[in-house]
Amino acid sequence: MTGIEFYVVVLLVYLGTDLLAAWGLNLEYGISGVANLAYIVVIAAGAYTYAILSLGPDSGNGGFQLYVVGWQLPFAVAVIAAAAVGALVGVIIGVTGLKRIRQDYQGMVMLVISLMAVTVVGADTGFLNGQAGLSLIPNPFSSLSPAVGDWAYVAMVALACVIGFFVMRRFTGGPMGRALRAMRDDEHAVAAMGFSVIRLRLMSQAVGGAFGGVSGALLAAFIGGWSPGAWAYVETLALLTAIIVGGMGNDMGVSLGTFVIAVLLLQAVQFLPQISSHTGLTEALGWIILGVLTITFLWVRPQGIFKERRPFYRSPGETERSAPGDSATGRVAAPRA
Amino acid sequence: MHLLIEAIGFGVASGAVLALGAVGFTLQFGISNVLNITYGSLMTLAAFLGAFLLGLGLNVWLVMALGGLLIGVASVALNRGLLSPLIRRGLQPFGLIIVTVSAGIVVQYMIVAVAGPSTVAYGNLSGATLHFLGWTLTTAQVVILVVALVLMVGLHILLTRTQLGRAMRATSSNRTLARSCGIATTRIGDIAWFLSGTFCGMAGIALAITVESFDFTLGSVVLIPIIAAAVLGGVGQPYGAMVGGLVVGIVSQVSAAYWSPSYENVVALAMLIVMLLVRPRGLFGANSSSRKLLA
Repeated sequence: MTGIEFYVVVLLVYLGTDLLAAWGLNLEYGISGVANLAYIVVIAAGAYTYAILSLGPDSGNGGFQLYVVGWQLPFAVAVIAAAAVGALVGVIIGVTGLKRIRQDYQGMVMLVISLMAVTVVGADTGFLNGQAGLSLIPNPFSSLSPAVGDWAYVAMVALACVIGFFVMRRFTGGPMGRALRAMRDDEHAVAAMGFSVIRLRLMSQAVGGAFGGVSGALLAAFIGGWSPGAWAYVETLALLTAIIVGGMGNDMGVSLGTFVIAVLLLQAVQFLPQISSHTGLTEALGWIILGVLTITFLWVRPQGIFKERRPFYRSPGETERSAPGDSATGRVAAPRA
Repeated sequence: MHLLIEAIGFGVASGAVLALGAVGFTLQFGISNVLNITYGSLMTLAAFLGAFLLGLGLNVWLVMALGGLLIGVASVALNRGLLSPLIRRGLQPFGLIIVTVSAGIVVQYMIVAVAGPSTVAYGNLSGATLHFLGWTLTTAQVVILVVALVLMVGLHILLTRTQLGRAMRATSSNRTLARSCGIATTRIGDIAWFLSGTFCGMAGIALAITVESFDFTLGSVVLIPIIAAAVLGGVGQPYGAMVGGLVVGIVSQVSAAYWSPSYENVVALAMLIVMLLVRPRGLFGANSSSRKLLA
């Protein structure tokens, strides 16, 4: 397998896993309005779950790493378990979002949860091998030759994305999507329509968490290792930037944003030649550009490249331009007779 | 018992640094109503600026004062150049927190781009070890403790005894009413951001003096106990933040002594979460700025 081919494989796998994660976060933030700055924690939960359910007992390989559970389950079972754990962690994080406090305050709490989770996992070496993290996480295609195995992995991730896309459409579009968007724009109105705000919010946290869990599991199985360094809080911001730049609440926009931000900007730059006197310079530049992009978009075009499409009720002949309401201000358009 | 007393001593020393940081964080929030997550990165920036200034051969306490001033200016620039214009454009609170997080990341990685990702140390500045009241502290820690105390008393005098302090408190409790009374609230805002930055910078350098070494993540790690201290005392209340800083410092150090040092910050988070779920307005009842937090 040539270098360039491997490069493409890596970027494709990153794209697939980032897409799953970005859709999940978009459901929580873009659609349901929960300021989840701790999203990377569910991705990490999925990755660790997959690892401890597929590595086998920690006495293997000379017992050089310590972790709990240590089963050796089939790949599919481990991934499904990762989704379940992701959903559970998502709901636990979401409970703090139920408290009726200001959105920025809530975001700050989520941020602290994210910082904290890294600290706790890093501090406890007996739980998930602490700061060193887990390695030798099995790849399901390791029995195939590297060239075939890598492309098989890409195909599997692509399949997961296709399934994920159609599952996600059930939540972002249709009656469920309308209910969630309505909850984001006006909690009281949606409660008056007979929806349980708590149930809607926790459901979106669970679904978003499951997407994050699968994303993390697929990523960890591909890389073969997972450590606290892989899930710093800034990773959540990369996904958020993808959503903001692409257009929050718009599936197309989020997908495009993920490709441009999470893959081209953050992953691709890491393959640029390093300047030996400045290690980490290219990575740092990637993050600086990311931060500047987020701020620029929030300043100039807060609705993103692709505006969220609102389900208007229009009378025949009426154009979208004359429809009331403006998605940029977050107001709900009143139905017109 | 001896261990407990000693741990409390360490707690007071680290609590003094936390209190400095928390007071700056909370003072600015009370007046401008913006949760400034860039704060952590500005602390890191202060620590690195301090390393640079120390390299020029300046005295460490002069460096601390200079760092405070520089970060104060940076903090005003952050507000005037970025946050205020965005608020005028109608950006919602959650957008604003994404902006401050992003700005923090930009600052943090600019530090990496310039200074590199490796750890930095100020060298041994701790001086002779002092023993009193059963506490064992280094001279540097004692000086920081005294500096923090002087700054707190200074802030207290500023807030209660001067025209400016009254104007600041008025702006914090009701901005619109304060403006109607002829207080230049924008200027008060600038002063609050400057003071906040000064506290932030001094706390950053004080922290860098007390730790063995640090890297570009310094600020994002210490942000947890600082936010915990600020929330504990009620966000927006400087006196609450002073007490909060001490409480978080002492509790963290005592739990580190009896349990495990690596869980120091975990206790801070546990306190933060409990406070938030049980009593989001802080220990000392509600003032108007902590009431603003409830949606």
